[in-house]
Amino acid sequence: MSRRAVIVGVGHTDFGKLEGRTAWHLETEAAAAALSDAGLGPSDVDGLITDPGPAQGILDGITPHFLRLGAQLGLDPDYAGSELLGGAGSVAIVERAALAVEAGLCDVCLCVYGDSPLSTPGSFQYGRGDEAAFGFFGAVGLHALAAQRHVHRYGTTAEHLGEVAVAARAHASRTPHAQKRQPISMDDYLASELLVEPLRRLDCCLVSDGAAAVLVTTEERARDLAQPGIRMLGHAQAHSLSTYASPGHFDALPAARSGPKALGRAGLTPADVDVALLYDCFTIVVLLQLEDYGFCKKGESGPFVEGGRIGPGGSLPVNPSGGLLAEGYGSGMLHVIEAVRQLRGEAGERQLPDAEVALVSGHGLGMNTHATLVLGS
Amino acid sequence: MSEAQLPLPQPDALTESFWQACRRGILEVQSCSACGHDFLPPGPCCPRCWSTGLSARAVSGRGRVFSFVVYRRTYHPGMPAPYVVALIELDEGPRLISNVVGCAPEEVAIDMPVQVRFEAAGEFSLPRFAPAAVDGGDA
Repeated sequence: MSRRAVIVGVGHTDFGKLEGRTAWHLETEAAAAALSDAGLGPSDVDGLITDPGPAQGILDGITPHFLRLGAQLGLDPDYAGSELLGGAGSVAIVERAALAVEAGLCDVCLCVYGDSPLSTPGSFQYGRGDEAAFGFFGAVGLHALAAQRHVHRYGTTAEHLGEVAVAARAHASRTPHAQKRQPISMDDYLASELLVEPLRRLDCCLVSDGAAAVLVTTEERARDLAQPGIRMLGHAQAHSLSTYASPGHFDALPAARSGPKALGRAGLTPADVDVALLYDCFTIVVLLQLEDYGFCKKGESGPFVEGGRIGPGGSLPVNPSGGLLAEGYGSGMLHVIEAVRQLRGEAGERQLPDAEVALVSGHGLGMNTHATLVLGS
Repeated sequence: MSEAQLPLPQPDALTESFWQACRRGILEVQSCSACGHDFLPPGPCCPRCWSTGLSARAVSGRGRVFSFVVYRRTYHPGMPAPYVVALIELDEGPRLISNVVGCAPEEVAIDMPVQVRFEAAGEFSLPRFAPAAVDGGDA
């Protein structure tokens, strides 16, 4: 009897500005869609793990997110909790669900991400803490520090960053639910407003209302379900919590540690990855991950992405649904879902031929957290 | 800059002495009496050996630009663009977020030597950094 964890259901809402609906509306809609996809009902769910987006936060007063969502869904699960790992949270809760299912703590674990920053006024505020006194605001400033290091050390250009942005929009033009479907040119990218130099508006991910959910169960249970189970071949996390004190903090991501671990557990190397779902809050993070996951050598991600290599039809398609830059901000959960769709062969116009191995990443907070999943059909 | 409108530091029991020293024109790091590690921001124990035997130590105020960014868009009315935010690596090792002032944003570069310069902001004195003399001498 195999208790190996598989993904059997995925679902999400629209992404964009969804007025008049709270994050709770969106999360329950996504949860129902994931259940329906698997052919399961509410009474089958005995595990609930949530990744509340940054605008709603993990606490509503003193009520933790999973408790309020669990109450709304009428669940009395055997296992529950919420994670707060920033953009690594969604990948991390799918990993945690796999661990819980494989340990026998629950059989069918529902993983939910949701947020409604566009319809919740004032939910993004100026930076807090002593650094705000120096005008150091927002995730864009922090990631611009990393981009500047890359420019300085390796000669990375605006066009290299632009390749990532252009590829994301090209991918999203073939994704019916994507928030930004119109392609952009390199000229469009270069004309984009500099926000925090060297990063421009088109280097930054979208802000979205939306929710996404994934259902994890055992390989055995999956045999009777509507969808084939997508296997979790390997997973790992790695973090850089000492931030500025960590010597390599702005030069490499903890992906350099979690990647080999996750791929190693799967008995695979980067060359075996057919599709990469890389967390793309900013274009520079895609470049860093291409290096730190070993898709190219350190410092060579700029030339690596030239000529559309990560775009549609490229040799390493990255984020074929458009990612955070174009599909919508779904933490990492839309990345997990796109990996599942590609591995099932149900990605429609953007379906990649022979996609058998997917690498999914989540990256969060002040470049502090990282999580990696390796999925296989 | 109209500093009064800016978010100001929020000292707590760990950082109060750092900000007090800034008011006296002194840049302090925390120093571990057990292993000698110097670090910022101030904390409850040495992040290298976890010793709680800590003391504040005045440093030179000299450092270099580890990385920097230029805010081209104004995010806060009290901090109009353009301005430079930099991660400064002090000669003694610790790094801190600050501003590079005293030159145009276009003149700032990674590895540029800088020297601390205290500037008033409300009741605080903020440790900002300006280009240092090329020969590395004291400002």
